Amino acid sequence: MNRILSACKRLGVESVVVGFTKSRDQMVRFSNNSVTVVNSWQNEVPTVYLASDGKRAACRIEEQDVEIESVARELVDSMRVMPRGDVDFNLPKGPFTYQEIEGIYDKRLTEIDTGLVDAAETAINSARKEGAERVSGVVTSGSWEHFVLTSAGAEGSSKGTGIEITVRGFATSDATGQGISIATNLNRFHPAEAGSMAGTIARKARGGTAGTPGKFNVVFGPAIFADLVDRAADSASAYSVDLGLSFFQDRLRKKVASERFTLLDNGSLPNGPGSIALDDEGFPTGETLLIGKGILENYLHTSYTAAKHKAQLTGSAQFEGGVAGMVPTPRNLIVEPGEEQFEELLDRAQSGLYITNNWYTRFQNYQIGDFSTICRDGVFEIRNGKLGNPVKGLRVSDNMIRILQSIEMLSKERQWIRWWEVPTPTLTPYVLVRDVGITTANK
Amino acid sequence: MEDETRLAVEHALKSGANYAEARAQRDVGHTLTLNNGVPEPVTATRRLGIGIRVIVDGSMGFASTNSLESSQIRNSAETAVKIAKAAARLISTPSKLAPEKSWEDKWEAKMKIDTQKVSIEEKLNVLYSIEKALSPENVKVSLPSRILLLDDELAEKFYLNSEGSRIRGIVPRISVFFILTGEEKGKGTIQRMRHEAQSRGWEAVKELDPPAIAIEEASMLGKMLREGKQPPSGEIDLVLGSEVTGIICHESCGHPQEADRILGREGAQAGESYVTREMMGERIGSEHVTIIDDPTLQNSYGFYMYDDEGVKAKPRTLIKNGIISDLLHNRETAAEFGVSSNASARSVAYDREPIIRMGNTFMKPEDHTLNELVEDINFGVYMKSFMEWNIDDRRYNQRYVGLEAYTIENGKIGTPVRNPILEVTTPRLYASVDAVGKEMEYSGATCGKGDPQQGAPVWTGGPPIRIRKIRLGG
Repeated sequence: MNRILSACKRLGVESVVVGFTKSRDQMVRFSNNSVTVVNSWQNEVPTVYLASDGKRAACRIEEQDVEIESVARELVDSMRVMPRGDVDFNLPKGPFTYQEIEGIYDKRLTEIDTGLVDAAETAINSARKEGAERVSGVVTSGSWEHFVLTSAGAEGSSKGTGIEITVRGFATSDATGQGISIATNLNRFHPAEAGSMAGTIARKARGGTAGTPGKFNVVFGPAIFADLVDRAADSASAYSVDLGLSFFQDRLRKKVASERFTLLDNGSLPNGPGSIALDDEGFPTGETLLIGKGILENYLHTSYTAAKHKAQLTGSAQFEGGVAGMVPTPRNLIVEPGEEQFEELLDRAQSGLYITNNWYTRFQNYQIGDFSTICRDGVFEIRNGKLGNPVKGLRVSDNMIRILQSIEMLSKERQWIRWWEVPTPTLTPYVLVRDVGITTANK
Repeated sequence: MEDETRLAVEHALKSGANYAEARAQRDVGHTLTLNNGVPEPVTATRRLGIGIRVIVDGSMGFASTNSLESSQIRNSAETAVKIAKAAARLISTPSKLAPEKSWEDKWEAKMKIDTQKVSIEEKLNVLYSIEKALSPENVKVSLPSRILLLDDELAEKFYLNSEGSRIRGIVPRISVFFILTGEEKGKGTIQRMRHEAQSRGWEAVKELDPPAIAIEEASMLGKMLREGKQPPSGEIDLVLGSEVTGIICHESCGHPQEADRILGREGAQAGESYVTREMMGERIGSEHVTIIDDPTLQNSYGFYMYDDEGVKAKPRTLIKNGIISDLLHNRETAAEFGVSSNASARSVAYDREPIIRMGNTFMKPEDHTLNELVEDINFGVYMKSFMEWNIDDRRYNQRYVGLEAYTIENGKIGTPVRNPILEVTTPRLYASVDAVGKEMEYSGATCGKGDPQQGAPVWTGGPPIRIRKIRLGG
């Protein structure tokens, strides 16, 4: 890494970040109660991020025989033909002291055989016991070690492990439920509970009838609310704001949500599935208040966006190959809990819907926040403050700001969510929202 | 690459695999972005590695590494076998592959001008030419946000399996992508994404004329903002433009007819399908509906000549005159259905297993002009393009929200309308098609599926189509 850094400096680059990640991951996928494929990945990948005169260039070098200096030279040549950038910025000035984050490394998860097939079997059996006929899912484990060295004197590393399962139970082809368990160590990993939840929701979803469109009081389960929170965090990334793709643009220090709603991002959370000691510019990670009691308090930043917005660093820089280079990205999203039980949310709603999960969220206009998303897995009527019959064929069609502002109650109980649809680990309660727009298809 | 794939396959067999295949893949490319005239980081891609897939006693394993050192390749081959063996006890449906001819061949998507040899400066100049074309004087609308992106890549693959196939493939791809936000005082904002993409060299960009496309799109946004009215609602006739036809074919025909979904293999992620094995040959649409997926279309973004299981590509007719016809198969699902693979196994990188994907999905054209589709409609809506869309994970309940859209009044295209919503089931939609146009257009798209996600390059397309008596409004 020092060699690459020196080579880039010799080419006249002001700011250089060299990253290096070693990772090893395994995945077991299953469907119809049977394993379909087992995957294993092993990678060692350096990254280079360069900046001079506000101009930026980046490369993820996943080819081991390539001469990194020649890639750096190509990037520098690219920067020479670019105009001076809109903002002069400096990388975070090191050295820094990085804290060891408690609970994010479990040596047992660094081995190839980490019991993933056993976990799949446990989840399948639990889901079937609760009433699922067929069970599908994916269980993944892995370990990673990440190093960062910068021309501004930051140098450090962090390592972690993870294990997670997504289970989907099918009581019939359209009566389904999902359960999730994610953890950084085996002691906190609960495949049986995930399977049990998937099977229970699937069983209760049996016999669902076509739902009706309208405005409903909705209790969102953690999986669907995590997706909405993830979209909100995307919008709180200064990168999205700068691209004009944020419904939080021009809303800093303004009320964007109900005063009951507080959202944080914490990259150094003990046991946090997304925790890491330092960001990809070498700045120590920490806690950032995004929305405090309904007020949008901060965007997430890299050194470039922080300079542009005249804001403090948030330890959120993440190297993204492809389009973006270095972007502010949340690590562990945390929704502050309420004080009530799930049943009390149902009681407050009196009538409406309980939606457990969703997928395929798309926006008509990212700046305004108009969107729709499809209800997936069990959806249940709320009648007289209690769970009622299952319904199906529904879509949430509403506006993100309106939903955040209409939050009326949050549960005390929270769950960690990360799965195919929700990329950022998110700890969220059940949430009651008033007058949510629900639409249905023309049959 | 050949030596490495051979080593991988031989070592996997030696380690106990009954079947083995290896694919070495190198991807190089660049992405350039202008955000309101300011360059985002130029990013370069350099990726090379090998993926090894094996079957051991009916259990499938896949391992990959980005090291091409012999010891690491052997280690990965052993890992693939080891993890497959370890999973065997939880397999009730053993994996097997449908018999397939072995091929020794080379193929490539031709390029006249090698994009990798075009300077960054020239590429950047294309984006600046678009930015310049979007000046308020040209487009008569304020565009507070303009994201312009140029992406090029060259993928080189070498595939080898234990049955004797040995195939080298090369695909250059190029994309021009815009996200434009238009704003008009008192009328709010409106956003448009447009993706033009081909499997060609730099000549594609020269022929495409991106500034002209950008001017057309931006001017349209201005018109929609200034003149757009509330759309009508209730049961009316609709004409859908090529872009909308294309996304419909992709979402509610291509995806549900992927055989892995039908077998439940994607149950926990991308979902299953409303189509069942028993529905083969069943009518799902009117006689005007014929939907084809053809990866062999020259210059197409989803182009390939052999899939990533070494099967020779060919067009697949998914719906023929309204009847469910072919499914998309890889060798594994083909074996379960008792048919041959139709070359639908694709992988986007060395470290991703091949799974069933579309190539280029489109509705077969008939013989009507757009005017002829419109002239029989007394009152309706023409939805030319869309922004928001989604569909449930069984591919039954879908929604498309129009972006450029107009009323149709007395057989003529009338005034602009904002955000008309078509929310409809798949059978109702296809059954309501009563006429199909003749003017074909395709859009570039990146289709998401798999775990980890694999964004596959595809085209979606078709002609304008007319659908009768369908509810508009969410």
